[in-house]
Amino acid sequence: MRDESPIPLVFKVVAGLALLVLLLPLAIVVLAGLNAGDYLTFPPQGLSLRWVKAFLSSPVFLSAYFYSFLLALAATAISTVIGTLAALYLARSGSRAAAFLRGYFMLPIVLPGVVLGLSLYVFFTTTDIGLARTFTGLLICHVLVTSPFVIATVTASLVGFDVSLEEAARSLGASPWTAFRKVTLRIIAPGISAGCIFAFIVSFGQFETTLFLSVPNREPLPMAMYISLRYKFEPTAAAAGIFAIALVVISTIITSRLVSLRRVFRA
Amino acid sequence: MAIAETQAISSIRSGGSITEALGGFRLWWLVVPAFVLFLCFFVVPAVSLFAIAFDKSVPGVVTFAGNFTFDNFVRIFTRPLYYMAILRSIGIAAVVAACALVIGYPLAFVIAKTEHPGRNTFLMILVLSAMQLDTVIRMYGLMVLLGDSGLVNGALLASGLISKPLPLMYNTFGVVVGLVQVTLPFMVLSLIGIIKAIHPSLEEAARSLGATRAQAFWRVVLPLSMPGILAGSLLVFALSISSYVVPALMGGWKVMVLPIHIYQQIAETGRWQFGAAIAVVLFLTSLLAVFIYHKAAARTAGGRT
Repeated sequence: MRDESPIPLVFKVVAGLALLVLLLPLAIVVLAGLNAGDYLTFPPQGLSLRWVKAFLSSPVFLSAYFYSFLLALAATAISTVIGTLAALYLARSGSRAAAFLRGYFMLPIVLPGVVLGLSLYVFFTTTDIGLARTFTGLLICHVLVTSPFVIATVTASLVGFDVSLEEAARSLGASPWTAFRKVTLRIIAPGISAGCIFAFIVSFGQFETTLFLSVPNREPLPMAMYISLRYKFEPTAAAAGIFAIALVVISTIITSRLVSLRRVFRA
Repeated sequence: MAIAETQAISSIRSGGSITEALGGFRLWWLVVPAFVLFLCFFVVPAVSLFAIAFDKSVPGVVTFAGNFTFDNFVRIFTRPLYYMAILRSIGIAAVVAACALVIGYPLAFVIAKTEHPGRNTFLMILVLSAMQLDTVIRMYGLMVLLGDSGLVNGALLASGLISKPLPLMYNTFGVVVGLVQVTLPFMVLSLIGIIKAIHPSLEEAARSLGATRAQAFWRVVLPLSMPGILAGSLLVFALSISSYVVPALMGGWKVMVLPIHIYQQIAETGRWQFGAAIAVVLFLTSLLAVFIYHKAAARTAGGRT
């Protein structure tokens, strides 16, 4: 064997460039939010918590942050329940219906976000069921886009699951419900938690589907930032971004402790 | 559903766990809530959106009138404004897929070959965090970087290398950079598993037979990565062509791609039927990409055996 690194130097350099493309914009947002000047310029004018304080007292961005948080919590709660139930079926039934449904449940993330949002908006408006530009309407949309992630994650965690463990519990006298709760649920709990976190993040950062559905003057955070970005670069928006980045990074770290990231992303 | 029911009944006969029998419990009951929700709020709205695309376009009117016509589609394919937008969308998505592949492959390779578990998880967390963060926030970072008075132009002007700002944003270049930033993690994740599955002994065999390192890569490792390359490119293409927010922010409404046209037709001119027709064209273009992908995937798989 030749004594060489398994990774060629060119690859290391380009990989470094790729990481730069991925992470530099995030670093810039953090820097812009902690910047002392009115505007992030080169060279930066020093650091301060001025804009973080401005965010924490901003009626626009702080309420948008909490609105997004609440929406994501509600969407996560619903999609975790219906998604886990669906995943239990998909993993255990070998029928052709299950094979079909596996594709069916992935459809909302295949359809372009703008088209999905538009179709719901048209549907709400034409049927006049009072959901157009309401919290409930937006919530339904977020449940549609977050459920596929719960279903995929929980199904992945059920793949290696041996049903005979549950049967063993039954044969030792456990009721079906107890056997399920104490055996199956315990084993797939990390998968459910991971699905829950993915759902939360997906909802929290959802923009394209929200475009046609958000309630006027009650914008979720991505929408509020978008509106602000089209006219001016408010450092307050960047400060809000810092909190969003922190939320995502912490969630991803927790997820990586719960499940094998590779298995979920089939990587 | 009938199939599911028979399946559930047959598994009750074979064994006894909760999901099989709990009184009158049937396994397929579990899937009903999600199925019904998706049917009411995904299938029905999507189908009705496609239906109104074939309705006569009346500004400001949303209701389905039933005046069946192909006018909306004829208009899209006869007016340069719209058919050029289709070509532009496809072109940008293809360029983005190529760029994401060129810089994403090496990163995926590095992650796949990093044995140290801590370092590996660290890299995965970096990629996943970047992927999951809200696109608007990432575009904020890019815009501060690439704007006329942004950090790149600021640094170049201050160093005297250029005398006026480079046009890095509010044009096609900016849109491509933005989309590569957004889609890169998807490319990387599609490639890691495939690269990891290529047994190192294959490369070693090529080397021991006299191939240089570069030859072994181009002739052995790269062809074996083809399934991941195709899957990643398809995913990146589909995500790019359907993105609204990146062209809106990075293109400053000057780069007219299909999602921007959809939004304009609905929000500004109130032509719902025409907007819906563009949405149908956008969706069919994505589907066409999936179709081409399957053809290409079948051919590479066939070539390998």
